[in-house]
Amino acid sequence: MAKIEIKDLRVSFGALQVTTGVNLSIPDRSITALMGPSGSGKSTILRVLNRLIELYPEAKVSGEVYLDGENIFDMNVLELRRRVQMIFQIPNPIPNISIFENVALGLKLNHLVRSRRELFERVKSALEKAQLWDEVKDRLRAPAGKLSGGQQQRLCVARALAFEPEVLLADEPTANLDPENTAKVEALFLELKKEMTFVLVTHYPPQAARISDYAAFLYKGQIVEWGPTRDVFTKPSHELTEKYVTGRLY
Amino acid sequence: MTAKSHNRVRAVDAERRVINWLGLGLFAFLGVAAVVPLFFIIGDVYIKGIDAINSLGGLWVFLTELPPTPFDESGGIGPMLVGTLYMTALGALLGIAVGFPLGVYIGEMRREKFANVARAGVNVLVEFPTIVIGLFVYAVMSLAKEDLNRYLLGPLSSAISPLGEWVPWFIGPLDGFNAYAGAVALTLIMIPYVALITASAYASVEQPLREAAYATAGREFNALFVVLRKAVSRAVLTAALLGTAKIAGETAPLLFTAFGNFYYAPFTGPTGAVPLWVWYAAQTPYDVQIVSAYGAAAVLLTIILTIFIIARIRG
Amino acid sequence: MLGFLLVVLLIPYLIAAYALLLVKLKWGLRQFGAFIVATIGLLTATFFVEAYPIIERDGLAVFLEARWDPVRESYGVIQALTGTVLTSAVAIALAMPMALGVAVTINEILPARLKGIFGSLVDLTATMPTVIFGLWGLFVLGPFLHDVVNSVSRFLVGDDVMTSPYTLFTAGVLLAIMITPYAAAVIREGYALVPKPVEEAIYAMGATKFEAALIKLRYARNYIFGGFFLALGRAMGETVAVAMVVGGNFSRFTTNIFESGITISSLIALQFPNAAAYQYMVPALFAGALLLTLFGLAINAVAIYIIQRGQV
Repeated sequence: MAKIEIKDLRVSFGALQVTTGVNLSIPDRSITALMGPSGSGKSTILRVLNRLIELYPEAKVSGEVYLDGENIFDMNVLELRRRVQMIFQIPNPIPNISIFENVALGLKLNHLVRSRRELFERVKSALEKAQLWDEVKDRLRAPAGKLSGGQQQRLCVARALAFEPEVLLADEPTANLDPENTAKVEALFLELKKEMTFVLVTHYPPQAARISDYAAFLYKGQIVEWGPTRDVFTKPSHELTEKYVTGRLY
Repeated sequence: MTAKSHNRVRAVDAERRVINWLGLGLFAFLGVAAVVPLFFIIGDVYIKGIDAINSLGGLWVFLTELPPTPFDESGGIGPMLVGTLYMTALGALLGIAVGFPLGVYIGEMRREKFANVARAGVNVLVEFPTIVIGLFVYAVMSLAKEDLNRYLLGPLSSAISPLGEWVPWFIGPLDGFNAYAGAVALTLIMIPYVALITASAYASVEQPLREAAYATAGREFNALFVVLRKAVSRAVLTAALLGTAKIAGETAPLLFTAFGNFYYAPFTGPTGAVPLWVWYAAQTPYDVQIVSAYGAAAVLLTIILTIFIIARIRG
Repeated sequence: MLGFLLVVLLIPYLIAAYALLLVKLKWGLRQFGAFIVATIGLLTATFFVEAYPIIERDGLAVFLEARWDPVRESYGVIQALTGTVLTSAVAIALAMPMALGVAVTINEILPARLKGIFGSLVDLTATMPTVIFGLWGLFVLGPFLHDVVNSVSRFLVGDDVMTSPYTLFTAGVLLAIMITPYAAAVIREGYALVPKPVEEAIYAMGATKFEAALIKLRYARNYIFGGFFLALGRAMGETVAVAMVVGGNFSRFTTNIFESGITISSLIALQFPNAAAYQYMVPALFAGALLLTLFGLAINAVAIYIIQRGQV
């Protein structure tokens, strides 16, 4: 069974229909890329998966989404958000609290640790997994706002990893990073996918081609084509898909 | 995760939800508590005030007659209303005239060190104890009065008095307490207020618009005051209206500048104001005067509310 | 002569500043900045000069002693300073929670249609004339607190703790109602400035709304400080409302908030009408004004320092 099953998902913002009847299966321990031109609904779908869409009261959602067979809309939302973490396009640590505190906040809020030593161990391990530990270990108490853009994004990854999540949602995570940091983050994802499920939104087809195992192409709120990345890129069955992956559609 | 830790986390979640409800409830309670007194105050003032106006002779009498002595049965706030209107108008005009350019200065020229000094100065003055401002104007007034009258106002008023009988009411040698000192005190209170709002109105002009304004306008003067006028005028107008409402209600700065007057009198001498009458009459032991204080408060409140509502609708 | 020169030169100065705006804009604008800085300097200097007679006669005693005896021309303002501190402390302690409550209520709890109205109500409270607050305090709040506090104290300690409806506590509560909108306006602004991406991140880590509100308040920490200092300055300077309910205890020193007292600003307001009749009272009042001014400048300086240092 797929990790996440999306059935007939429709989302509208007021009069604007953003997605119309999306069906998708996200397999476990792999990277699934959602790609498509701006406005095709990719970020919206992502925000349904951890019910962050509920922050937008104008959004109306219908359809079903299952995580390991459970309907996420019936689940305890706090638990859902512990199991399904998200990384955003613009790095968004809380700048006036410390690097350590940024990673620890989620753990403390959700009462996931029972001692200060356990807290420290988990924060350290998350920062190590995010390949940031060596760069910050001597200044854990410094404000997070002082880090560079690439470091801040890896801090956000660490913050997500601290939860030991089952699914990691990434909304164009390297769009604001330079090529060097982009490469670091991509390598990180390739390493981490062995332990968790990734859903990666990207507006840059070569990125999908580089690191994803499965790719879904969205156009104007609908899934046009979806399958193993190699197939989607080399033998697309739809004309639109072919145009998009060869860079003629944006 | 084991079943046991799973259950522990579930229990914690339930606890967090309870805290969520209690916490938000507390915030809501505190927020409402901040606003509830307003209703009590407005209710109290209007209930007793309208009653007062009726018992003292009705609205027209109240707005034009002289205030009641302790033994009268009717009276009004005529002289005070005139004083308030005159001083507030002067204070507001001058306050905007100086406050607006000042606001442009500290809002637009932020890179200059002096502008930041001026901004700090404005921040200090904006909620300065208004009685201190009144005291300052009083001090300057007492120092300047004699020479001012001898060298400037005396000759001036003799020169223009042939123009009409109304002249001595406005221009002439000044007493220690007069309407113009009051107006100056009000101006000093209004200036920082207008300046700060103007500054933030200019500061919130987005970069692309500002660049376009400078590019198309030629001279900087045109860019700031002509092209960007539309973008900031709403905020500045609101500031002007709210500032006027604020100074119309001020009492302390007038205590030693205008001082107050029970009679219609020239603006060159002690002048009454509605808030001054409320202050004075509320603290007397005479019922009729206490009642008239409520009437005056109702009139004052109506003026303020009107300006406030206009500002909210236009803004 | 000095005062005369000042007044006479002022109007041409301002006219020149205006003219300069048209010719060389930046120089013209700078004049307005200079005007405000000069005003503050002049104000402080004026108070020094006016207070000088009593400082010359008594030294710093006028700032350190508590007495008000016009007949013997003996004055000290420490009881007023204490009153200012106590009433401001009570006011701020009550106002800050309410201001935080306003910010969270508007931003997190109220539906869109009510946000505007609620905000306007808070702003209206700030625009209300202080003398009307005083009037209400004199005839409604004072007696009410007198009853309530004494009922509670009779229950707890068997005695009436508030001797009169007009005490430092009454003034403190009235001030709290008056200064809350000032702190609330600043905190609201900071709270609303929390960026959407940060808000999303906070909820994505599984925070409840209340927890998210607390984190956002932490993010807007600087604005909370700003609101605190603004409200504090306002409380310390408020005159007429306090004068009408504080009890007018000019000479006795007290630290009991349930007793009548006096603050520096209300001392000035209530005693000035008498002051012309005495030789040293006017300078004494100006000494009080000077103290208040210096206090206010100091607090503003501290505020600027804290807020600047807290900026990342």
